[in-house]
Amino acid sequence: MPIEIPKDKWPGSIKIVTIGATSAEGGTRTKSISVGGQASMPYLHYEAPMPNKPVIAIEIKSRKPDDWSPLLVEAWGETMAEPAQWAKKADEAGADIIVVALTLADSPEDAVRVVKSVLSATGLPLIVWGPGQVEKDNELLVPVSEATNGEKIVLGICEDKNYRTIVATAMANGHLVQARTPMDVNLSKQLNILISDMGMPKERILMDPTTGALGYGIEYGYSVMERLRLAALQGDAMTQLPMIVTPGYETWKTKESKIGEGVPEGWGDWKARAINWETLTAIALVESGADIVVLRHPESVKRVKGAIEELVTV
Amino acid sequence: MQHTITFTFDDKPITVTVPTNTMLSDAAQLAGLDIGQPCGGQGRCGRCAVQVTDGNVRRRSTLRLSPGDVGQGFALACQSVVEGDVSIYVPPQEKIERRLTTDRVVAEVTVPEGYEYPSDQTVRRIHLELTPPSMDDQTDDWSRLQTALRLQANINKVNVSLGLLQTIGNVLRVGEWNVTAVLEYPLEDLEQPVRLISLQPHHVDEYSPLWGCAIDIGTTTVSVWLVDLVSGQVRAQVAEYNGQIVRGEDVISRIMYANKSGGGQELRQRVLDTINELLETACKRVKAKPEDVVKATIAGNSTMIHLLLGIPASNIRLSPFITAVNHPPLMRAGDVGINIHSQASVDCLPGVASYVGADITAGVLSSGLDVAEDVILFLDVGTNGETVLGNRDWLVTCACSAGPAFEGAGVVNGMRATTGAIEEVWVNSDTFEPTYRVIGGGKPKGICGSGLISLLSEAFITGIIDKAGNVNLMKSSSRLRDGAHGGEYVVAWGTESESGEDIVLSRVDVDNLLRAKAAIYAGFTVLADTVGIPLESVSKVLIGGSFGKYINVEKAVQIGLLPDMPWEQFDFLGNTSVRGAYYALLDWRKRDQITEIAKRMTYIELSADNSFYEAFTSALFLPHTDMSKFPSVASALER
Amino acid sequence: MALAGIQIYKLLPQTNCKECGFPTCLAFAMKLAAKQVELSACPYVSDASKKQLAESAAPPIRLITLKAGSEVKAGNEVVMFRHEKSFYNKTGLFIRVKASDPDLAKKVTAADAYKVNYVGMDFSIDGFAIEADGDLTAAVKTIRTVSKRPLILMTKDSALLDSSLSLLAGESALIYAADASNYEPLADLAKKYKAALVVKSDSLDGLADLTKNIQAKGVEDMVLDLGGRNMGEWLARSTQVRKLAIKSNLRALGYPVIAFPCDAKDEGVAAAQAIAKYAGFVVLSEFKPELLYPLLVLRENIYTDPQKPIQVQPGIYEINSPNPESPVLVTTNFSITYFSVANEVEGSGLPAWLVVTDAEGMSVLTAWAAGKFDAERIAKAIKTFDVASKVSKKRIVLPGHVAVLSGELEEELPDWEIRVGPREAVDLPAFMKQALN
Ligand code: SF4
Ligand code: FES
Repeated sequence: MPIEIPKDKWPGSIKIVTIGATSAEGGTRTKSISVGGQASMPYLHYEAPMPNKPVIAIEIKSRKPDDWSPLLVEAWGETMAEPAQWAKKADEAGADIIVVALTLADSPEDAVRVVKSVLSATGLPLIVWGPGQVEKDNELLVPVSEATNGEKIVLGICEDKNYRTIVATAMANGHLVQARTPMDVNLSKQLNILISDMGMPKERILMDPTTGALGYGIEYGYSVMERLRLAALQGDAMTQLPMIVTPGYETWKTKESKIGEGVPEGWGDWKARAINWETLTAIALVESGADIVVLRHPESVKRVKGAIEELVTV
Repeated sequence: MQHTITFTFDDKPITVTVPTNTMLSDAAQLAGLDIGQPCGGQGRCGRCAVQVTDGNVRRRSTLRLSPGDVGQGFALACQSVVEGDVSIYVPPQEKIERRLTTDRVVAEVTVPEGYEYPSDQTVRRIHLELTPPSMDDQTDDWSRLQTALRLQANINKVNVSLGLLQTIGNVLRVGEWNVTAVLEYPLEDLEQPVRLISLQPHHVDEYSPLWGCAIDIGTTTVSVWLVDLVSGQVRAQVAEYNGQIVRGEDVISRIMYANKSGGGQELRQRVLDTINELLETACKRVKAKPEDVVKATIAGNSTMIHLLLGIPASNIRLSPFITAVNHPPLMRAGDVGINIHSQASVDCLPGVASYVGADITAGVLSSGLDVAEDVILFLDVGTNGETVLGNRDWLVTCACSAGPAFEGAGVVNGMRATTGAIEEVWVNSDTFEPTYRVIGGGKPKGICGSGLISLLSEAFITGIIDKAGNVNLMKSSSRLRDGAHGGEYVVAWGTESESGEDIVLSRVDVDNLLRAKAAIYAGFTVLADTVGIPLESVSKVLIGGSFGKYINVEKAVQIGLLPDMPWEQFDFLGNTSVRGAYYALLDWRKRDQITEIAKRMTYIELSADNSFYEAFTSALFLPHTDMSKFPSVASALER
Repeated sequence: MALAGIQIYKLLPQTNCKECGFPTCLAFAMKLAAKQVELSACPYVSDASKKQLAESAAPPIRLITLKAGSEVKAGNEVVMFRHEKSFYNKTGLFIRVKASDPDLAKKVTAADAYKVNYVGMDFSIDGFAIEADGDLTAAVKTIRTVSKRPLILMTKDSALLDSSLSLLAGESALIYAADASNYEPLADLAKKYKAALVVKSDSLDGLADLTKNIQAKGVEDMVLDLGGRNMGEWLARSTQVRKLAIKSNLRALGYPVIAFPCDAKDEGVAAAQAIAKYAGFVVLSEFKPELLYPLLVLRENIYTDPQKPIQVQPGIYEINSPNPESPVLVTTNFSITYFSVANEVEGSGLPAWLVVTDAEGMSVLTAWAAGKFDAERIAKAIKTFDVASKVSKKRIVLPGHVAVLSGELEEELPDWEIRVGPREAVDLPAFMKQALN
């Protein structure tokens, strides 16, 4: 019985966003990374080809964090003390992009120095996050943005209460922005509208709908992403942006990943479980439409990469 | 090429010569005429309209003007250029304001067509002439009165209170057996006895007023209409903030407060005080005494009615949200505590559910929604944001707590729509200087609901606030500044205001207004969704609420309070609840109709799932997250 | 197509007689539209209306129930994406065992006994899939001595199946798998033993042919094995089958799907995809708690009813590394409420303890209105989360909207200082800077 495969023809598609600039493009990266461009729900190649596959970013900090899980410390070892070394190792571990997370302890000079050192240690495109405090973010990100003019870095994280300064400096220096909203379709759209109302081209905005880790609200993030993607395909211009999510950050603060002792026996082997936690969270998000997943453990990076390969091979 | 322009202002002609393509407003300035340009000459406000009486101008935009206006030669001075010799008449401001197509003036109150006293009225006044007693006829006074009622008014059964019985002997004699009886006829069962309300020792002129009152107890505002039941006319309209407001702004806080020991009693007294003071004011205005009022019909949301009657309201707030009573029986004013004639009936109209009360059934009656052929949407833009959708076949309703922002409460410089309230604001998009109109024309005291809508819309359109309501402090104007709650915009400087303090729109006000408008918008979109009716198929939107005498529909659409539909589809009904109570007060058939409405309405509980919340967050933006729902605003923003 | 409330209403008597237990016919119609009541509750529906209404109600994916000492259901799904309504029947997780395994009893016992708790719910596996690489009948016997969970019998040998199934009287097992070559005897067995039958083909055309043929033999309970050489192909097929069943009402593919991540390159990843993307049953290679637990949690998350308000877990959250001197802020577990408070405080850099109370996912005002956020509940949260042990300065900040609760809370928590914070989260940082210190 010949079955006719139902295909959705969507009126909309996702904007292609390119991160990082090569020397030809006015930067110093060895290559730039493009995400987006889909015209179907994730990996339904029979409906529309997928011009860009999802990529993996590895998160490193500007200073060695003292609250990361011992499993992560074990994986990255000595390099954690030196962002440039750490970035290099992340590059080797398979990162497509490096996320440099600045901290409250950084001065503007520190921030600029760290970002520049990472830029010279690796040819990968960069995402730079402020420490997550309105004033401090602005204080650090503006000089970083100016010092890296033309590199097409993604600056983050814009939120609805604090987006103007970051967007303004990103616009002035040829960078991109990451727009984060707390797991709500409408809030995502609203922040995208506010940012593009400032004149930022949509090709330079990544939306971060926020996710919870597995067991900690992943279902909300998951559905919000599916809904955003559906809205985009249906033609809603304000949702036609690639999505970035941070399963690494989310999972490594859960006790399922962070802790090895004093947990229920039913949780099984710590290391395997912890990596499963990060990997499975990331996979669920990749299935729901993530374009960039930010991870922390090299083993998860390997597994998620493998899965993406399988998903994009037709 | 040069052209001659003759302006006529105040009957005086002034002539200037200008080159082709000169803007009329510039020409007027040259002529020394001051045509106000509240929107900064952007063609948004229509306040600069003038009339071309001879010759022609080229109109770049006629946004504010109806085709009829243009036909009569009207043109916007800021949008029209000179192409030849013309004569221009500059009309006085008030005349222009009345022409603007977006203003919806509150429907006038007129006696319902066909109202006939006494046949429609349950309270009637009857003049009786009794045969005086004698040694031959020693019938007792009460029987004598009953006989007179039987013979002269065809009343076979009559009830009387003890209090009244105690006085009749005296009244009959003082009146020398010529008396006037005020009687109440039973509403439902005509076999029931008629009730004697009062007996007056004289003959009252048949056409002199017989007083009744329609009362609306809103969570925020209480309104009283004093009505002459004979002519059917409303003779006084008064309103005041509900005295309970100091104990909480919304029904939930009131219910909580009532739960405390003595709280219920206090709230009851507070609202009674408000009502009684209003009655006194109204009576004074028509030179009557509150005791002369012989009938009261009351509408109000379920909580307000419970609190008025001293009935515990706590179950209204707790799931599954059950009232003690939706339709209270007829009561006596003396028992309820309303200071009118103690024997007067107090008729509390029937409600539907905890959050859809008699104010809404009365509102539906007064709007005619329940008999309409096409689907109509009725919005009560008030604290509880009740919404009704339907027609003569079906009616659905919901309530969403919008808060009292549009009634001027909970907003720093908010106030009711009375003298001193800023009721309209225009902001110049270049200078951010506002132009406003104050009710009564004096110094501003605050901003009322329609003023807030207008202000919010102007702040948004001119970029003072972004779509999320953040005040944009990057704009340079001394009116934009950092206030106690973040950014704020100064509408009137202390030097202009009555109190000497600045009148501002603060970030917190914006949030409150956004929440209020989002709740209302979400309420009706979810309601329409639940029954599967697209909003486009709604033929009319009726707006109720305690605004002043008008609301600017365009502004309300611009902030996303009302759906983006052609302006003519909106009607502004003002306080529909008190109006419905008024109709029910006059006509027992209308009173029956309200009972029918209450039975027919299907109440939708918005908290049953996520859809309201979804709709709410998407509406929590200016005008809405989904701009495609507001094409007219999108094009206004582009301009 | 499902009918909207108003369309159903037009098919009802419109007399508002209330006999169905709803105040009006329209209220009843909307409940019908939401599939929350049965049409039979109204005694007055005309036959013509009944017919029309029934057509819009048939489930597009057949419900398959595997039964033994416990039950596992798959199918009856109505949407492509969980937010559209909900996913209903949680994917059944089966552990594959080998008939030849000398440690069979021991392994099954361990897996059978597995129980893990996630936010108050106990999870376990759903059953076993037995690979017939040895004596299947003996293996079934062995398993039934240690586990009462439903079974999947993996063999094409009909004699072997017959004898094995005969041991499972009163159960509904799942037979794996029928293909074009063997479906006839297998269908007979399925019929005989009221078992469900997996049909296997590498194309949707093939699957549809098989289900039609088997249906013709009187077997209705089927499950589809989609094949597929990698995750991408499986995803495409699973999506197509679901869409054909739900959107095109294609009965031939209106069955749940079974997936075998045990054969995939990366089992965990493939299993996660299967759970998210429509598998009714998933077979895992072995019993490994470190993978099972995350999969069980993922399944729970994906199958949670999305219509429920978005909640965060009640508990005490640390913001900006608080110390014993830091203030204790209280809020509800409605996610947006939590986020706005947490973000404001986090953004301010000021350390605090944030106590999230169980207010059934309502915002502060709504919860307070509904009696889910009162002094008693707050006090209970403070005690349950043992907040006192974390702080030296016993100071609680209440949301400004519930200032009225401060008196009662003082009574409930006599040794705590109760402070009333601002109404809006935006004002929290300023409040913390000025008023607390
Ligand atoms: S029982 Fe039937 S007729 Fe009566 S109210 Fe319910 S739906 Fe209407
Ligand atoms: S329309 Fe001309 S000034 Fe506003």
